[in-house]
Amino acid sequence: MSTHPLVELAQRLVPAHVVSGDVESSDGRLDALRREGLREFVRMGIPTTRHEEWKYTNLFPFIGLDYSYVPVRWSARAASTDARTSMTEVASALGQHISIRIVDGVVEANLTNVPDGVDILELTSDIVENDKDVARTLGSGAPIGSHPFVALNTALLESGIVIRLRKGVQCELPIHLSVETTANASTLIAPRLLIIAEEGAEADIIHSSHTSGGATVLDVTVVEASIAATAHIRFYKIADDSDASRSISSVTADVHRDATFTSHALSIGGRFVRNDLAIRLCEPSSQGFLYGVSLLAQSEYTDNHTVVDHMVPHCHSEELYKGIYDGSSTGVFNGKIYVRPQAQKTTAYQSNHTLLLSSKAQVQAKPQLEIWADDVKCSHGATMGQVDDEAIFYFRSRGIDEATAKALLTYAFVSEVAEKISLEGLRELVMRRIARRLSAESILA
Amino acid sequence: MTPLLQITNLHASIEDREILKGIDLTVNAGEVHAIMGPNGSGKSTLASVLAGREDYSVTEGSVLFNGKELMELSPEERSREGLFLAFQYPVEIPGVSTANFVKTAVNESRKHRGQEPLEPAAFLALMRERMALVEMDPSFLQRSLNEGFSGGEKKRNEIFQMAMLDPVLAVLDETDSGLDIDALRIVASGVNALRRADNATIVITHYQRLLDHIVPDYVHVLWNGRIVKSGDKSLALELEQRGYDWLKQEAAVEA
Repeated sequence: MSTHPLVELAQRLVPAHVVSGDVESSDGRLDALRREGLREFVRMGIPTTRHEEWKYTNLFPFIGLDYSYVPVRWSARAASTDARTSMTEVASALGQHISIRIVDGVVEANLTNVPDGVDILELTSDIVENDKDVARTLGSGAPIGSHPFVALNTALLESGIVIRLRKGVQCELPIHLSVETTANASTLIAPRLLIIAEEGAEADIIHSSHTSGGATVLDVTVVEASIAATAHIRFYKIADDSDASRSISSVTADVHRDATFTSHALSIGGRFVRNDLAIRLCEPSSQGFLYGVSLLAQSEYTDNHTVVDHMVPHCHSEELYKGIYDGSSTGVFNGKIYVRPQAQKTTAYQSNHTLLLSSKAQVQAKPQLEIWADDVKCSHGATMGQVDDEAIFYFRSRGIDEATAKALLTYAFVSEVAEKISLEGLRELVMRRIARRLSAESILA
Repeated sequence: MTPLLQITNLHASIEDREILKGIDLTVNAGEVHAIMGPNGSGKSTLASVLAGREDYSVTEGSVLFNGKELMELSPEERSREGLFLAFQYPVEIPGVSTANFVKTAVNESRKHRGQEPLEPAAFLALMRERMALVEMDPSFLQRSLNEGFSGGEKKRNEIFQMAMLDPVLAVLDETDSGLDIDALRIVASGVNALRRADNATIVITHYQRLLDHIVPDYVHVLWNGRIVKSGDKSLALELEQRGYDWLKQEAAVEA
């Protein structure tokens, strides 16, 4: 069997001294991790739809392209002014915020408005060597041994971004990481983000990707978060991109005592999105909230794979994903909840609801609960359906036209989860997109 | 004077089964007409066809509403022109508040008439005033439309919407079904309060008891897709005493 071009690319990109690792003295943690990443990527290769975790995820149309790799690197240059339209929209929806942009691989962090106690750092081999929090977080959560693209990201890891929130810091401004790529030829990017929230810290962190240039951009982003006791982190993954983007991301979070991690997976544009999210509730009274909105049209594809791992007693998780699928789009939801034998008094709720706006749209939903403890409250529910004709007629009989009726009903459907978005501008952006997709912007007036 | 509604030889089918087999009915401004008849006679079909429910196809005849051919208008256009159907089974709409629904509906009608949308404060005041007509608590405004409402609350909500939209012609489809006597009285007094010389009401009902409260000028009996007998309010009382069988026999003899 010949080697897949993407595997070949990774093998070519990882330097020989990292691969061999035979010079023990100069072989640092980062190199060791990269070696492991490459080894696992070569071992696993590209998953096919025969793989249970990739059953509906057809990578075939784009995974064999001849990609050029654009590495992430830090620069001292001033933030560029030009931005992709969708990036501008997200940025303006956030209002005042801390901006970290990766523009064609170059990190442009405007750190003038970063408050004390918030560190935005370059992930280097030095910091991995010398900072124990970074060392502990990097590679701790990301499933290097089971997710081929996490392995790929790790193999290519030379630089990345660390957001560290010092003890007790409440970061009022949202922190926005936007990855912007201009591609005239097929491009691979692999950003890595570490979030380290110390005790009692609190922040909103937004990650979005934006593509222009027309050629395919394969974005393999990995995020690892460590949430210390009583910290509260809200993380938003926004897919609001062009037809040229292919996004495969992994987010993992370890949540400690009395802390919360809230995730919003907002897919409101983009040809192909695969989100893996895993939350580990590691200490009692930790909480995980997982929310998702997927608004798909044409032949768009969004695939949310989530895992909540209740490792200890007295933890709580709540999951709500809603999909609105039009055209010939496909949405996938796979939600795993593990309740370990010792995790008594767990409460875990999951639901996934889909509205199909077209007869060609598809949905695949798979709740997967594995509960080994007996004193727990767990539930899951999945529904899928169309806009109710009788409801539409009721609206029309009151003088409201069909498009507006559909928009109002779709709004109503999605509002339950959109209301969970605490950043008002972002919530409005999502609602505006729905109105635009349904050609019923008048209902916002 | 042009009648408000003129139905001529109306035939309608659902899935190739003919339900309405030649209805003739004229309703003038200021009048209340009751349409009675046994189950399956076509009463609710008539209401649905007038409102424009697309499950039915009109195969013959015409319906002029204020001189316009009603069958050429979409359901929303009919509403904006001043036709209102009070549903037998009002639909529950989770996530859309009663206030938002009514506001959208009223503003669509205002736009159609070339009027500006109402100011929020004026609108709220108007809603509260009209809710009082059917003794509805203002807290219903913020609740999802009809969701979890009792049968009586749903019917009162229909009449509240009617009061807000101020139709020229209201068709009440079995509005009395599922109502206890108190709710029936409240709903009826709401309808009566909205009666004017320039509007009209068609009350579709199976039982005479609603007509004690909403007194009709004319009573028509629908059977097997046709109006087989028309009269004044005393016809309703006669039906209450004698049932429908004598009419069926009469109609069978005539046919």
